Amino acid sequence: MNKDKTLHKDIRKDFPILSKKILKTKDLVYFDTAASAQKPQVVIDELNQFYKSHYSNVSRGVHTLSVESTLRYEDARKKIQSFINAKSENEIIFTKSATESINLVAQTFYDKYMSTGDEIILSLMEHHSNLIPWYFLRDKYGVVIKFANITESGEIDVNHFESLITPKTKIAALTHLSNVYGSKIDEKVSSICKRNNVAILLDGCQSAAHLKIDVQKLECDFFVFSGHKTYGPSGIGVLYGKENLLDEMPPYQGGGGMIGEVTTDKVSYAELPAKYEAGTPPIAEAHGLGIAIDYMNNIGIENIINHEEELTKYAYEKISELDFVKIYGDGDNRNSIISFNIENIHSHEVSSFLDVEGIAVRAGHHCCQPLMKHLGVNSTSRLSFGVYNTIEEVDIFINALIKCKEFFIK
Amino acid sequence: MNELLKELYQEIILDHGKEPRNFGECETHNKSAHGHNPLCGDKVSLTLFVDDDIIKDIKFSGEGCAISVASASLMTEKLKGKKLSYAENMFKDFTDLVKGSEDSLSTIDEDDSLYALKGVKDFPMRVKCATLAWHTFKNALKE
Repeated sequence: MNKDKTLHKDIRKDFPILSKKILKTKDLVYFDTAASAQKPQVVIDELNQFYKSHYSNVSRGVHTLSVESTLRYEDARKKIQSFINAKSENEIIFTKSATESINLVAQTFYDKYMSTGDEIILSLMEHHSNLIPWYFLRDKYGVVIKFANITESGEIDVNHFESLITPKTKIAALTHLSNVYGSKIDEKVSSICKRNNVAILLDGCQSAAHLKIDVQKLECDFFVFSGHKTYGPSGIGVLYGKENLLDEMPPYQGGGGMIGEVTTDKVSYAELPAKYEAGTPPIAEAHGLGIAIDYMNNIGIENIINHEEELTKYAYEKISELDFVKIYGDGDNRNSIISFNIENIHSHEVSSFLDVEGIAVRAGHHCCQPLMKHLGVNSTSRLSFGVYNTIEEVDIFINALIKCKEFFIK
Repeated sequence: MNELLKELYQEIILDHGKEPRNFGECETHNKSAHGHNPLCGDKVSLTLFVDDDIIKDIKFSGEGCAISVASASLMTEKLKGKKLSYAENMFKDFTDLVKGSEDSLSTIDEDDSLYALKGVKDFPMRVKCATLAWHTFKNALKE
């Protein structure tokens, strides 16, 4: 079934955690990459090496270690710029998480471009991290939030989205790839925003490691993603923003590193990207993320996409054959994520059952409570794929799902 | 079938999960609380009628996994008719039990229906499912 079995045998060897036995006997089947991806040996080794041989604070000292750290930190920025095809490295801001990236945009975009009564468009399938930062604006400043509907197949209803736009609409913040449906956003949404002079932020947490990202082609003003979902360390996120916007918006946090000149009366701010990087940044984490991006590039993004497409298609077909399972969304436009429920069995039971079979899936509301309400469910189970998963693992999963149903529904 | 799963999903748990007892709202109540596990979305609403320091009536409603529903159901069965001081001891014993420490239990023994939830100790992520109703009970008393 796999087009390139050798490729995948090798890839699994890159991830030491995959040889772990669950409950001492079961091979680990890791189907929770959408929550966080596992780390290849090269990222683990490089983090270790960085702390052993190069570590110091960045952009501050002139001594050897400071230079070595700074070079690696800035090199990671260049790798990310090229990875998402940003025009300039000034457009890449390191944050502590994608969540912080969105909070940064919400706060500073409001400060520069919005006032009470202005409008923001979100969708019903946003992750809480792309809801609450905007709710803060609603609660603090009285901006209006509108929600675009979701179609049966799990995509933004483009016509409804367009109908929500008024002259007061300033920004739309939408998921690039849904963490529940695995659906990719319709490219028309960006052009609608452009036409109406509405800024657009794309939440790329689920797409960055699973699609080819080109922020210029996507025509987005902001794009955020996290390190830990892209085979890199936790504790680091990325914000891409168009340079003219980042230039005009005010700083987010104040502190060391983001200043130009400070007197007792006033302060001027550093140029991009330092302007948005107050305090000691996640230094080793940035380096680790750069290594993770090298790792993905070495495999080839196209190869990753093809492999995960094949897995997703196969799993979708196999699960669809089980009449006791409901899948959310349909088979088209689905990338590396499948959410489902077994009739009359809570997702917690499914997840605990699969766990003792060695299979890690996510159970719960996936930080998408409004979407769960929309679907009329309390929670779902979700399997999500990474570069290291195989068709054989899908078969193990399907067998376990059948056993699970037999266990709970006699 | 895996022994841990058998231990977790004993017949009594599946039974109470499917057909919870004391489900609904007390006709008259003087204490109540809502509980919510934001990690997974499980919800429980609890009403009690307490008179002379005795729990005369207790009912719950809500939704959640088999473990959380069964735990709430078993809890209401156990607490009905109990003195508040005894119920508070039971709260402590129960939370100890599902976390795996059963050395100093004074109100729950091996023949007790609550003992069926002991298997939760091997699934640390499910402890919150099992204790949600109990924490809600504790909050209701604070009113």
